[in-house]
Amino acid sequence: MHKLSRSNRDKLQQFVSITGASEKAALQALKASDWHLEGAFDVFYSQPQSKSLTDTRHLEELYNRYKDPYLDMILVDGITLLCNDLQVDPQDIVMLVVSWHMKAATMCEFSKQEFIGGLQSLGIDSLDKFRERISFMRAELKDEQKFREIYNFAFAWAKEKGQKSLALDTAIGMWQLLFAEKQWPLVDHWCQFLQAKHNKAISRDTWSQLLEFARTVDPALSNYDAEGAWPYLIDEFVEYLTENGIVQNR
Amino acid sequence: MGQMDSYEKDFEEHMLQDTGAYYSRKASNWILEDSCPEYMIKAEECLKKERDRVSHYLHSSSEPKLVEKVQHELLVVYATELLEKEQSGCRALLREDKVEDLSRMYRLYHKIPKGLEPVANVFKQHITAEGTVLVQQAEDAATNQGGSSGAVQEQVLIRKIIELHDKYMEYVTNCFINHTLFHKALKEAFEIFCNKAVGGSSSSELLATFCDNILKKGGNEKLSDEAIEETLEKVVKLLAYISDKDLFAEFYRKKLARRLLFDRSANDDHERSILTKLKQQCGGQFTSKMEGMVTDLTLARENQTSFEEYLSNNQNAHPGIDLSVTVLTTGFWPSYKSSDLNLPSEMVKCVEVFKGFYETKTKHRKLTWIYSLGQCNINGKFEQKNIELIVSTYQAATLLLFNTSDRLSYSEIMTQLNLTHDDLVRLLHSLSCAKYKILLKEPNTKTISQSDHFEFNSKFTDRMRRIKIPLPPVDERKKIVEDVDKDRRYAIDAALVRIMKSRKVLGHQQLVSECVEQLSRMFKPDIKAIKKRMEDLITRDYLERDKENPNMFRYLA
Repeated sequence: MHKLSRSNRDKLQQFVSITGASEKAALQALKASDWHLEGAFDVFYSQPQSKSLTDTRHLEELYNRYKDPYLDMILVDGITLLCNDLQVDPQDIVMLVVSWHMKAATMCEFSKQEFIGGLQSLGIDSLDKFRERISFMRAELKDEQKFREIYNFAFAWAKEKGQKSLALDTAIGMWQLLFAEKQWPLVDHWCQFLQAKHNKAISRDTWSQLLEFARTVDPALSNYDAEGAWPYLIDEFVEYLTENGIVQNR
Repeated sequence: MGQMDSYEKDFEEHMLQDTGAYYSRKASNWILEDSCPEYMIKAEECLKKERDRVSHYLHSSSEPKLVEKVQHELLVVYATELLEKEQSGCRALLREDKVEDLSRMYRLYHKIPKGLEPVANVFKQHITAEGTVLVQQAEDAATNQGGSSGAVQEQVLIRKIIELHDKYMEYVTNCFINHTLFHKALKEAFEIFCNKAVGGSSSSELLATFCDNILKKGGNEKLSDEAIEETLEKVVKLLAYISDKDLFAEFYRKKLARRLLFDRSANDDHERSILTKLKQQCGGQFTSKMEGMVTDLTLARENQTSFEEYLSNNQNAHPGIDLSVTVLTTGFWPSYKSSDLNLPSEMVKCVEVFKGFYETKTKHRKLTWIYSLGQCNINGKFEQKNIELIVSTYQAATLLLFNTSDRLSYSEIMTQLNLTHDDLVRLLHSLSCAKYKILLKEPNTKTISQSDHFEFNSKFTDRMRRIKIPLPPVDERKKIVEDVDKDRRYAIDAALVRIMKSRKVLGHQQLVSECVEQLSRMFKPDIKAIKKRMEDLITRDYLERDKENPNMFRYLA
């Protein structure tokens, strides 16, 4: 039964290199998910890990390493240290994915519950395991459904506590980060447009609808429906593009 | 049933065919040789003759078929050529007011299915063209002449539009026998050009100014009462074509306020009459505030009488100056900025006394004084003779400063009065740079600057014993437009919430179009504005987009 096709063998190898699992576990997971890599990851990681005392103790140790000396939370310094330990740049988008797993409420801080809960759900109880999981988390961004969840999560995470909208500068920074992953050709024009014409905070609706726009409307705007329910800012963006000759008039 | 077979198959069919061919030949000649009216007369004749023939020779069942055949050959086949004849077609007939021919055209095409549509279309285009010319003329006059003569042109425009409306409404009732198609054509035509702005003023504003001119003293007093009533009636009808009715209401209210407060209304009955007409056309909500304003004035007069009684009963309370106060109910009147004017001491007492009186009548009410609307008669003791000056409260306060100082700088006046720069400049200009120079300004330039100094002009005189020193009003247009925009935002919000509450789930297009419809009685909402409000409602958690279909919206209870 080990007559695997070439593509399946590739998948197996990829799986092992990303998760660090044994070939046997890898095979199991892949078979269970019908040879879809993404599904296989989910299967693998959702297996109940033995939550022994050691695990929780390790997690506490890990938390204490990063926690702020005065407050019972991990703040900026702690996060920087964590990133160093993980050999990841603090601006790296993978940190957003980490925050997403932790269901972090706000950027640049993790509560104890968020940190420990997040690591538990990822099956991590040591720095080594954490480091290993980084590539998996990067891979998650390629999954369309997960990317959408992470993107929408980013809005609440990046905005100031108590505000309903996201400050423009922060939004632009996030967009540039996210769309470097997703490759949307109009992202720079979008940011320029906002700085020139809008200069105000971004609403949640505009944020989430922008992803749909980037996903469904082609960069030449040939399938843009002006009568559609796009937020008015996106309608204005389209006008801006046509007025400035960036896109041909349809 | 079987009895007609022979008639129909062996005779009628052929007769119809031949008739058709006959008229086809005739028509092809006539259409080239005859003018449209001539052709139509011939067509009418032919139809009459055919009907006669049926009644004389044929079975009555042939009539409709025969008539249809003739109509088809004469009127349907050549409809376009006939109506569009260059010199004599529909357009020309309208241009030359050929009422009889147009009536004939109606009669002929009335019975043909969809026959009237092209005629109604030409009618609409014609009216639109004439209306647009009038608007253009007014616009040209406004830009060329500018200033007040431009304003007069705008008033002339409204008159001309009313005349145009009267003229073509007659066509609709007479030539076109009140047919709905033509009512619709007239309405649509007027809606097109009646919403064009002229000389920077929207049509809503123009109409409100027109009303103001009729209703104020020194306006169109040459008209008889009847003529005025008639004109008001027509103006209200014109309002139906204006899309921004809420803007009209606001301009009208502002001007009504000025008429009422400065006693410039010519005739109380006319004021009430137009409000009744507006109410009939636009509903009670439209006029409720305005009616409140008119009522306030009546109550104010009664109040003043009680105040005077109170003063005569309380001699020591008398402020030493004749005072009359008009109390306005806040909700009815346009909003006015209450200023922090430092009142001269003489006036401070007046305010106190009135407050005392008012509190005897009602507690639990707050009085906010709007000094910018007040008026004052003060005695100017000039060298040559005393002259009574009729001025605004602000102007009076300024002049009274010179009772205690001979010479004041701009900044000193500003500090003492506590007014804004805008107000102060206007004020000082009216007293030192306009027709009556009550104050002397140093340097003697035509405009006010903050380094100027002012002195009482004791050498001032005029042949009259009593002069009014006008203070030109601030241009309120911008503020009115802003206020209306704000109200519109609330109205759009309310409409959206109302619709979503009852429908629960609705697609974007439908929501927008229902919203537009609900609001159309008062204004034509901008689609962008509606979208913005929808997004605001999403942010405020009244609505959300459907997870599967972002074009659908759900109501969040």
